[in-house]
Amino acid sequence: MSEAAVRVVGVKKQFGDQAVLHGIDLDVAPNEFVSLLGPSGCGKTTLLRIIAGFEQASAGRVEVAGTDVTGMPPHKRPTNLVFQRGALFPHMTVAENIGYSLKLRGWPKARIGARVDELLVLVRLDGLGGRAPTHLSGGQIQRAALARALAPQPTVLLLDEPLSALDLKLRQHMQLELRALQRQLAATFIYVTHDQTEALVMSDRIAIMNAGRLVQVGTPREIYTRPASVFASDFIGETNLVPGIVASVDDGLVTLAAGSVTRLVGRASGAMVIGSTATLSVRPEAIHLTRTDAAVDPGAPVDGHRGQVRQIVYLGARVRVESISSDGITTWTDLRDDEAEGLSPDDWVTLRWAPDAASVWAGGTIGTEA
Amino acid sequence: MGDSVVSGSGRRSGRGRDAAGGAGTSALTIWASRLFIAVVLIYLFAPVVVTVLFSFTTSPRLSLPIEGVTLDWYRKAFADPLFTTALNNSLVLAVVTAVVSVTLGVTFSFGMARLSARTRGPLLTASLLPAAVPALVLGVALAVFFTALNRPPGLVNAAIGHILVALPFVILTLNARLETFDFSVTEAARDLGASPLRTFRDITFPIMRPSVIGAALLAMALSIDEFVVTWFTIGNQQTLPVLIWGLLRRGIDPTVNALATVVLVSLVFLVVLSSLLSRRRS
Repeated sequence: MSEAAVRVVGVKKQFGDQAVLHGIDLDVAPNEFVSLLGPSGCGKTTLLRIIAGFEQASAGRVEVAGTDVTGMPPHKRPTNLVFQRGALFPHMTVAENIGYSLKLRGWPKARIGARVDELLVLVRLDGLGGRAPTHLSGGQIQRAALARALAPQPTVLLLDEPLSALDLKLRQHMQLELRALQRQLAATFIYVTHDQTEALVMSDRIAIMNAGRLVQVGTPREIYTRPASVFASDFIGETNLVPGIVASVDDGLVTLAAGSVTRLVGRASGAMVIGSTATLSVRPEAIHLTRTDAAVDPGAPVDGHRGQVRQIVYLGARVRVESISSDGITTWTDLRDDEAEGLSPDDWVTLRWAPDAASVWAGGTIGTEA
Repeated sequence: MGDSVVSGSGRRSGRGRDAAGGAGTSALTIWASRLFIAVVLIYLFAPVVVTVLFSFTTSPRLSLPIEGVTLDWYRKAFADPLFTTALNNSLVLAVVTAVVSVTLGVTFSFGMARLSARTRGPLLTASLLPAAVPALVLGVALAVFFTALNRPPGLVNAAIGHILVALPFVILTLNARLETFDFSVTEAARDLGASPLRTFRDITFPIMRPSVIGAALLAMALSIDEFVVTWFTIGNQQTLPVLIWGLLRRGIDPTVNALATVVLVSLVFLVVLSSLLSRRRS
């Protein structure tokens, strides 16, 4: 196995008597783009700062390219950090900012100049080297900060929500640009974000964190289609969560009794005990909706999940339909605009999905994650 | 002052239109308020203007109208060894006060910036409190203290007093700047390979420099102007304020006006420069 670019082993962090990280283990491969994703306060920034050396782990260790850096001060580590708001030196020009780390390493002036020019082109700030940071736009500040962090060719680049201060359009643009840059440089990036779309767009792998623990680590597709917990399924993308009782288990497929008549089927995540509570998650776009004749007895068993349309929300590219079953279970379904044509509130509909498109976890909807 | 008179009349025309129907703002009240403002301004500035004016008049007695203009009083002052010694003492004290109070103040404020807000608040208040102690009390306290230590009065005692007077203001100035200081730039420097010392030299200090110089100039101004604490601690030596006070006891000699003007000009210069530098944000 090739050596990990970053290896985090059993890292714990206490602030006073408050535990922020409860033992994190994470390997990041060379040239990999890994996002640490989680809600605010989940410990993702603390973990990044421990890797950068600004915080000391209370227990565990951090290795960068095979070297234990746990006790090393930040200025001796082969990692560089892009700060949330750039943190450019206000009394230096953009070029001086970018060249600062090289000046510290004793590079001759001409060589620094050449490297800075190269980096300015790379982040598309060519011609702006002489500017003061106060005369840059938000996007330009983050590009300059990126160039400054890349200048000493760090083994790992750490990014702490560098796009969070930008407006949506610019952020989406910069996400693609960052990803392209990471591929072009074949660099290792660890990226902290609370924005699940951002993580999906950019990452090779996503590490979902919650309450100081890693909830799931996997590729964006794995995490989206096979979330490891109720928390992961709810945090990434949008989903319907339906609590119920396990009625039967057959070859990994669980039938869940929700309400008096509704029977839902999904793929089991972990062992299921018949008669115990469980939660099913199904994405709105995975549901297939058909209109049903209103005359059919709403209590009669059917193939699928029957409900009555409550509201139809127009989202531009999609239409989102809320339906409620006779035993009170609310479900959201995403349709294309043309699929929803002619549908109106109070219509009876049948919802179906491929059993593999839904996941079932043991336990209720709240507080069940690992 | 000229500006305020202009804007005052400008406002009047506007208000005149608004109140056209009402009995409200008559021409009389407008003139009365103008007169009042003028009286307050005259009260504030007349003593200073008179002092500066008489430092340039030929007549040794204070009388109007002015008979002629001369620089004789300044020549006389600068030829007087009493004056040059006092000026020298004042400058030495000013520089020592600035250097020591700023060194202490910078260390103290930076240390304080790392503390939690809950600890910082009381600490800041405690460090500013001496500024509220009357100079007379400070002077007496220092005199008693130095006597108890068997320290003969002199320039060193006066310097200790001046630093005590200036330090709270230095801390106040630096703390105000540090409140808005973005410490992530120092982390960025560390991250890029700078040692803590190098970070201070390359990043922290250059960003803070205008405020540090501003605080130093303020300390100099406070020192040059200081009389009460100086008088209790300096013994038979003299600074400019102590000399002026001594000369006045022997009757008013126009040289005093020249000395006072010298002090005035240097203080105005220091205070203006200090507030310009402290207010500047990078």
